[in-house]
Amino acid sequence: MASVRRSKGESHLIRYLILGSWALFCLMPVLWFLTIGLRPRVEIITPTPIYWPTFSLEAWNMIWRDWPMAKYLMNSVAAIFGSVVIDLVLAIPAAYSLARYEYRGRDDIGFYILSTRMMAPAIVAIPIFFLFRNMGLLDSVWALMLIYAAINLSIVTWIIRSYMIDIPKELEDAARTDGASDLRILWEIIVPAILPGIITAAVIAMIFAINEFLFTLLIASTPNAYTMSVALANFTGGSDGVIYNAIALVSFLAFLPVFIVVLLIQNHLSRGLTMGAVKG
Amino acid sequence: MARIQLNNIQKRWGSVYGVRDVNIDIADEEFLVLLGPSGCGKTTTMRMIAGLEEPTEGDVIMDGEIMNDVDARDRDVAMVFQGYALYPNMSIYENIRFPLRMRDVPKAEQDARIRKAADMVEMGPYLDRKPGALSGGQRQRAALARAVVRSPQVFLMDEPLSNLDAKLRQAMRIQIKQLQRQLKITSVYVTHDQIEAMTLADRIVVMDQGSIQQIGTPDEIYSDPANTFVAGFIGAPPMNIVDGEIKAGVFTAPGLKVANVKIDHEGPAKLGIRPEDCIVSPPKSPIHLEGEVYGVEPTGDMTYLSLKVGGLDFEVKADRSYRAELGSSANVGFDLEHLYFFKADSGDRLR
Repeated sequence: MASVRRSKGESHLIRYLILGSWALFCLMPVLWFLTIGLRPRVEIITPTPIYWPTFSLEAWNMIWRDWPMAKYLMNSVAAIFGSVVIDLVLAIPAAYSLARYEYRGRDDIGFYILSTRMMAPAIVAIPIFFLFRNMGLLDSVWALMLIYAAINLSIVTWIIRSYMIDIPKELEDAARTDGASDLRILWEIIVPAILPGIITAAVIAMIFAINEFLFTLLIASTPNAYTMSVALANFTGGSDGVIYNAIALVSFLAFLPVFIVVLLIQNHLSRGLTMGAVKG
Repeated sequence: MARIQLNNIQKRWGSVYGVRDVNIDIADEEFLVLLGPSGCGKTTTMRMIAGLEEPTEGDVIMDGEIMNDVDARDRDVAMVFQGYALYPNMSIYENIRFPLRMRDVPKAEQDARIRKAADMVEMGPYLDRKPGALSGGQRQRAALARAVVRSPQVFLMDEPLSNLDAKLRQAMRIQIKQLQRQLKITSVYVTHDQIEAMTLADRIVVMDQGSIQQIGTPDEIYSDPANTFVAGFIGAPPMNIVDGEIKAGVFTAPGLKVANVKIDHEGPAKLGIRPEDCIVSPPKSPIHLEGEVYGVEPTGDMTYLSLKVGGLDFEVKADRSYRAELGSSANVGFDLEHLYFFKADSGDRLR
């Protein structure tokens, strides 16, 4: 008995060693970023390698002192949060229609919605720029909100749809014979039942929105609408040259909230990314 | 309460028939069971009564009113589903309250009605639970409470017991029958289980391949089957069907001869004999057959005896004390009264 238990312990140890090294390998860029962000600038640009870095809050102090980082952060939060709300308001009914109603061309419409995600964004960048300029929406957080919502709408719709398809149809039949209208069925029965899916879709949309760069750069022409991702570009030009430690620190700050949210919902997330291909 | 008429109901998907030529007149307060194998159209028929499915042709009439274009939510029909279909995010109390809320029953009335419905199915103590925290039987009782709480005109049940174990099923069967008698609600019940059909129904509708095979009381369905399908579907083990020929009032088949057949038919025919109408080793029987003992299965209350007669399997219900060596021969007799003859081609009953 004892030997069995020991060998089991050993196999556990090996398992943790392998998984640990893999995790370290994957997290290396993140950790490296963090150490860069917390080093003095001189130390980063020296050509000779430094094994034990000096801890410094130089970059931290600088980004809050010399740049309106709080404003960028607020812009990011507002644009992302707003876009996710718009996505959910539009995607939940759309997904319900794609998942449950039968009408001609339904699958084609569903595929068309998804296909908008397959297009290279650069193709529509210029038209969108003119469109937004004519609407007087340049350089505003509202514009970013709309853009992010448009980019993510297809994927949010499809994730929510995949969850809705898995809801037993009996549930809706029951609600219908109980006297509920379609809207009430959607709101009182379907939405609560697929809440994990909705949260997953919202988080995925959030991640894409945080990382969005092209359209943000196009539309946010002044710090008025800069977000974290575009603010990064600030540190590369000007008389100060490339400020690597500030870039690293801001990147890390942009990464942190997503990281925490993903940790919290990781079980749902893998389910959402397979988009209903695997029943869970 | 309500009388339901189905007039020439058809349901087609493209060229595929789900239900064809269904005519049923369900009396007020009647308990009607739709019985048949899976895919026979019984659930589709029920869904058309509920309004969840629209008939391609024909009319669904409730109390003289054509309901074809009336949506399920406006039909005052309550339905219980095989998978219970309780709303997972709501407590049992909220589940039972849902139909009252949807139909704008005054708040003051709701609580009393919910508690009364829950007590009727002994779910009173579980009102605060979520469906996930209940057993299968409790869930089904909760679903029943949700269906009866608003005193519907019509009560529909779609295989409500098939997810429960055998013992629970029997208890629930009795409870459902009681409930229906108490509430006097016209009820339609779909099942593939003949025992449920026999015990619950005022009348049974036997369906196969989208068509009605026979409508009748359980006794009629059992003792006067309209064709070989009904004869084979009701009864366990099913009726033995023997292929043979009738000539001048004598039915002959390999190993079997029946004289004095009072049926006006000449030529190929089928003979049906229920396993329970057979008498093993009769002292003296005018009609009998001899077969080789193929299986003896004592179940306690009776013994199932399988015989090989010619190339045919023949099932017999024997006395519980009956035992025989495998491979020995057994003698089985019948009563002329309990023999059924059917047409060889269509399987329709010869009378």
